[in-house]
Amino acid sequence: MAEQTSTANAWPANPADLIPASRKRLGWGLLAIATLALLAIIVVQILYKTEMSTTGFDTWRPVIYAYVLWGIALGAWQVLTRGEDGQRALFLLPALLFTIAMVIFPTLFGFYIALTDWNLSSFTGRRFNGLDNFWQMLSDPYYRNALLNMVLYVLAVLVEYVIAFALALLLNAQIRARKLFRVVFLLPLMLSPVAVSWMVGKSLMEYRFGPAATLARHLGWNNPAFFSDPITARISIMMLDAWTFIPFMMIMLLAGLQAMSREVLEAARVDGATAWQTFWQVTFPLMLPVSVTAVILRIIFKLKLADIIITLTSGGPGGATDSVSSFIYREYRDRSNVGYGTMLAMAYLVLIIVFVTWLLKLASRFVRNVN
Amino acid sequence: MRVDLYEKLVRAGATRRDLLKGAASMAALAAASGAGLGALTKPAAADDSLRAKILQIPGVGKGQPTDSDFQKVGELCLEATKANVKEGEFAGVELTFMGLNNQNLHNVLFRGFLKPWEAYTGAKISWIDLAQADYNARLQQSIATGTVDFDIIEMGAPFEGDVCGKGLTSEMPDWVKKQIDFDDLVNYLKPPVGTWNGKQYRITIDGDAHNFNYRTDVFSDPDLAKAWKESGATTEWGVPKTWQEVQAVTKFLKGKQFKGQDVYGYLDAPKPWGGFGFYFLGSRASAYAKHPDDKAWLFDADTMKPRINNPAWVRAIQDVIDALPSEPADQINADPNTTAFQQFLAGTGSMIPWWGDVGSNVKTNDSSVIGDVTGFSILPGSDDVYNSKTGKWDKLASGPNYAPNCAYLGWGVYVMARVDSDEKKKKAAWSAAAHLGGKDLSIWTAMYPSGFQPYRNSHFNIPEWVAAGYDEAFITSYLKSEGDSYNHPNAAIEPRIPGIFQYYSAAEDILANTFAGKMKAQEGADAIAAAWEKLTDQIGRENQIKLYKASLGM
Repeated sequence: MAEQTSTANAWPANPADLIPASRKRLGWGLLAIATLALLAIIVVQILYKTEMSTTGFDTWRPVIYAYVLWGIALGAWQVLTRGEDGQRALFLLPALLFTIAMVIFPTLFGFYIALTDWNLSSFTGRRFNGLDNFWQMLSDPYYRNALLNMVLYVLAVLVEYVIAFALALLLNAQIRARKLFRVVFLLPLMLSPVAVSWMVGKSLMEYRFGPAATLARHLGWNNPAFFSDPITARISIMMLDAWTFIPFMMIMLLAGLQAMSREVLEAARVDGATAWQTFWQVTFPLMLPVSVTAVILRIIFKLKLADIIITLTSGGPGGATDSVSSFIYREYRDRSNVGYGTMLAMAYLVLIIVFVTWLLKLASRFVRNVN
Repeated sequence: MRVDLYEKLVRAGATRRDLLKGAASMAALAAASGAGLGALTKPAAADDSLRAKILQIPGVGKGQPTDSDFQKVGELCLEATKANVKEGEFAGVELTFMGLNNQNLHNVLFRGFLKPWEAYTGAKISWIDLAQADYNARLQQSIATGTVDFDIIEMGAPFEGDVCGKGLTSEMPDWVKKQIDFDDLVNYLKPPVGTWNGKQYRITIDGDAHNFNYRTDVFSDPDLAKAWKESGATTEWGVPKTWQEVQAVTKFLKGKQFKGQDVYGYLDAPKPWGGFGFYFLGSRASAYAKHPDDKAWLFDADTMKPRINNPAWVRAIQDVIDALPSEPADQINADPNTTAFQQFLAGTGSMIPWWGDVGSNVKTNDSSVIGDVTGFSILPGSDDVYNSKTGKWDKLASGPNYAPNCAYLGWGVYVMARVDSDEKKKKAAWSAAAHLGGKDLSIWTAMYPSGFQPYRNSHFNIPEWVAAGYDEAFITSYLKSEGDSYNHPNAAIEPRIPGIFQYYSAAEDILANTFAGKMKAQEGADAIAAAWEKLTDQIGRENQIKLYKASLGM
């Protein structure tokens, strides 16, 4: 026993110390060679593409191959220098390298593109122009208008929340055909917003023959044009978007309601609480964490609103329904203004990150205070 | 041949080929029916027989053609290909074709037309289908990122600066010119259109100009004529000949009823449409802005200074603002697709400008209710025209100024330079393109819903249309409007400069705000001019000036 203890104590604290130095050297050497090769290929290719050198490749594909080989060398280096710990790291490395290649690098590259003057039709191609796009963005009335619209669209989430909560309460009650209603109410969420735009916006709400327009005429609205007046158009877009996404909030709230302890509700009833008191002083506070999650997720969805607008109004009339995403889409797609379009997108990304972070903090403080 | 006549004789036991292969047959048919068709026919040759045969597929007035019809037409028109290509010659060749799928036309038809070609030659085609609004972005991205992933493209002449100017297209071989009978093209589609630096790149498959489509029943209605007189009008009730009259009629028709329904005058298309909507303001502006003594009308040719904010264009913008309250209540949200296919063909509105698609659809599109009550002319003129050189409005001694808007210059098929390194593939690509641009096939696409209008001199043979089943008065009116637009001495020609759709798209956004009342006409026009100046600098002013001049033939 003493011998065994002695042997165990002889093991180094770090298992990697058991690995022979020569094997570690091999690992480091391999990584160094792969890194140098990758950097060399990147430098050669950049020099070639910027016409500072005549040696290079027609496409960037060799750089991708070099990156893949570097990734393999990185894995080998982990195993050779860290042994079993390195093998564990191998489970993580492919995902990490993939994320770097497909998310982190494109985002960083996007920030670079945002600092360039790049019109796809330009004879001179892409040119670095510093913060010019940013200054242009600050004075762009169309972008400001789209941001203002986004504020209104986001505020509409509160109305959606009220409706979703009411529906969730209804579907949580003991009503006939409850399961059928749950499925039926979920259907809009399963539809593509583009399909909703055509089926509802361009057919049901069509001015001449649409059933919704016909009904509106019967109800006394002489000119039921849903997308011609700025306020009506904005409300119509909000309603279509809400119709698609209320089920998403509803299903989250319903799950929350079903997870609630029935004893608490029964206790409130025994204490003589009315239905409203039970809801307002018991159900609603208990549902706050779920509500906050549902609202925040919905806001995140809302910030991406574009498809319904693009299909139905192209941002009109007069920019009344434009969202940031639909404006960027036009700037980038119709006008091939890649540099400026990317700056708009990147600025929006930063705004969203800041806003959502603030919202999460606010929500967490709010829930904590209430509870 | 008239369809009823044809059906009568087929029922009597004759085959199509028997009936249609010669002048003697035609004469016999005419005699047999007593219809007197001889006066409308010309001596028939083998080609005439083929053309008459394909034009009965499926037959004018017999519903919209289907894929099997496209394949039948493609099969019958293969003779020209067979003269240049052996059976199975392109076995193993794979080609990629990029084009549109608007209204289920364009590529949808090409697939059917090329299926027999694929079967005969052994080549295989993969398809990239794009919606109209996605087309520009997809093409520009391919060019800018060097990722041209197609061998053949359906493309409009306005993109030639972007594509041919960058050396991305294959030069047309001489055998193709012969196969498609290149000289048959109408004059305005001949070079420089389709060429770059003197080299021919394009097989034209379409002719484009905005003509004026109107409702004959509305403009011949006695009740409306009476009301028009009672309103104090000094002119006779009839089809407007000038934009001033269009405005007056549109305002007059507000609130009027015709055949128990609201009747409207002119239909504007204020909603952005990927840049293509700008053409419709162009059609309102051309008579004001295109002076017969000046080839340019969109920019000053020497400086690329935009003319969009000159009094002529501002007047056109103001016309839209003034007319919109008299148009349907949801007009502000109407794009050109809506005005033509959801409104005009469905019986709403009495005047629209459009490419010739309206004419080719009124009698053949299943959703059309105005097949017998549509007339055509060139775009309205203007009593006066703005002279950019003097800064004054001129009244021409010849009367109103007319300036048809030759918008887009039609679709063409182009072969990409990436096939040049492989002779077999190159020949296959050009053969496929030539099949689509074939003379016989083209008369079918001109007559049936295809997205393409007449573009050859041989398309203006009225008896051929009448024989196919078209009403003579109708088709004469339609073809005259097209031909007169193409050949007009003061036609406003599309500039084939790089990034032209960026100019149009930027303008559309600002115009949408202007039409919605956020800006006055002049303010909107000034904002567009500023955006265009910036765009010109971004793309490269010197090059743009050079290419703009070239596109105007200066």
